[in-house]
Amino acid sequence: MRAWLHSVRVLVWKDLLQEWRSRDIVTSMLAFAVLSLFIFNYALELSPINRAEIAPGIIWVVMVFAGTLGLNRSFTAEQDQGCFEGLMMAVPDLSAIYFAKLLTNMLMMIFLAVLVIPIYSLLYNQSLFNWAFLGVLGLGAWGYSAAGTLISSMTVQTRMRDLLLPVLLFPLLLPVNMAVVKSCGVLLGTVAGQDIRGWLNLLLVYDAVVTTLSLLVFEYVIQE
Amino acid sequence: MTLQARQISKAYGVQRVLDRLTLSVDAGEVVCLLGPNGAGKTTLILTLSGLQKPDSGEVLWDGQAAGASALKLRRSIGLILHQPFLYEHLTGCENLRFYSLLYETGHSEADLRKLMGRVGLANARPIPVRGFSRGMKQRLTIARALLCDPRVLLFDEPYTGLDQQGCGMLNQLVQEENARGKLILLTTHELSFIRQIATRFDVLHRGKIADSIPNDGISLDLLQEHYNTVVSAGGTRQKELA
Repeated sequence: MRAWLHSVRVLVWKDLLQEWRSRDIVTSMLAFAVLSLFIFNYALELSPINRAEIAPGIIWVVMVFAGTLGLNRSFTAEQDQGCFEGLMMAVPDLSAIYFAKLLTNMLMMIFLAVLVIPIYSLLYNQSLFNWAFLGVLGLGAWGYSAAGTLISSMTVQTRMRDLLLPVLLFPLLLPVNMAVVKSCGVLLGTVAGQDIRGWLNLLLVYDAVVTTLSLLVFEYVIQE
Repeated sequence: MTLQARQISKAYGVQRVLDRLTLSVDAGEVVCLLGPNGAGKTTLILTLSGLQKPDSGEVLWDGQAAGASALKLRRSIGLILHQPFLYEHLTGCENLRFYSLLYETGHSEADLRKLMGRVGLANARPIPVRGFSRGMKQRLTIARALLCDPRVLLFDEPYTGLDQQGCGMLNQLVQEENARGKLILLTTHELSFIRQIATRFDVLHRGKIADSIPNDGISLDLLQEHYNTVVSAGGTRQKELA
């Protein structure tokens, strides 16, 4: 277990250092997110009441679509330079590669949320500065990254990876999408009569189950 | 240590690349796999390294199937394939440090610099690998393969991109590792260089080891002639031997 955690830490350090040097993923995700927020702002002429109602939906949709740009590229370095084989020869357990990528993708999503929330607040004149709100987005990012990292490891080996990733991933994300949007709605007071605990439980169970299953099948996925 | 491939077969779709191939390499040997393009050399290296499973047959380490210890055995192999396994945005030293941490070798910065020096990169600028020439990347790849002090070296076309000095450096490294009792199997078309260090040449043709030529001071011309005969004969010698 100690060796496994050590491998995960080293792999995350490498991914973050690579991203710090290239800024490939963050730049494209952020550009997409900001542009989407601008488009929504001008396309939807919203009253102050409506703004609060659709805020969770807009924020999460922007994060999901921007996130696919990051997921599509998360295994690119490994694929292009054959580093996948290098990692397979070096790690004590192949699931460490999956977990490290999951953490990196989740960190990217949370970083994106931290940037998107103030931009949204500025554009829509509605404050979303709320730790609980960010916490729910973080749980959503975990589930999104858990499913997305596994699907991305499959699609990166195909020629149509840009198309296949969203087609395969989005149906799997239905429970996350519902739970995040409803939970955030309850936090903002726009969804009446619903208990946030139910949605948070769904989110936590989804995150735990998808992460566990992915850890178990990852070795099979990359070797086959 | 002995590495054996026993009756292994591998096909990609309808194309059978390895056909009940049997091979044995002992520690202290430097075996060179020769063969025309598409003969299956890379497939054999991938299969022996455990990165690819054979359709049938088995790979044995000291007479035992890898089984549950496959990952542990994998970590004792220094592998070079066509791609360098290097991260383009990291410097040469950072790439080595990354793999060193993964292998938990405990190398210090000085050790890594010494290793860079062994492959002729002591004076390389600390720039990302994407700024390296093909030869420099290959030198760094060799350093990466030796990083974990592996017991087995599986090198696929290791001379690719290297200049004359680089080829000499690689030969010297292989001889040093061979003197330490390492098991070494490599593939190449550079007969002039490999002739200086190989203890045996195995010719891979039509999915089988068609011939095995011991290097008892064989001349380059004779080796080339022998190889051409085996390849053009289409493995008939294998049938004769069988």
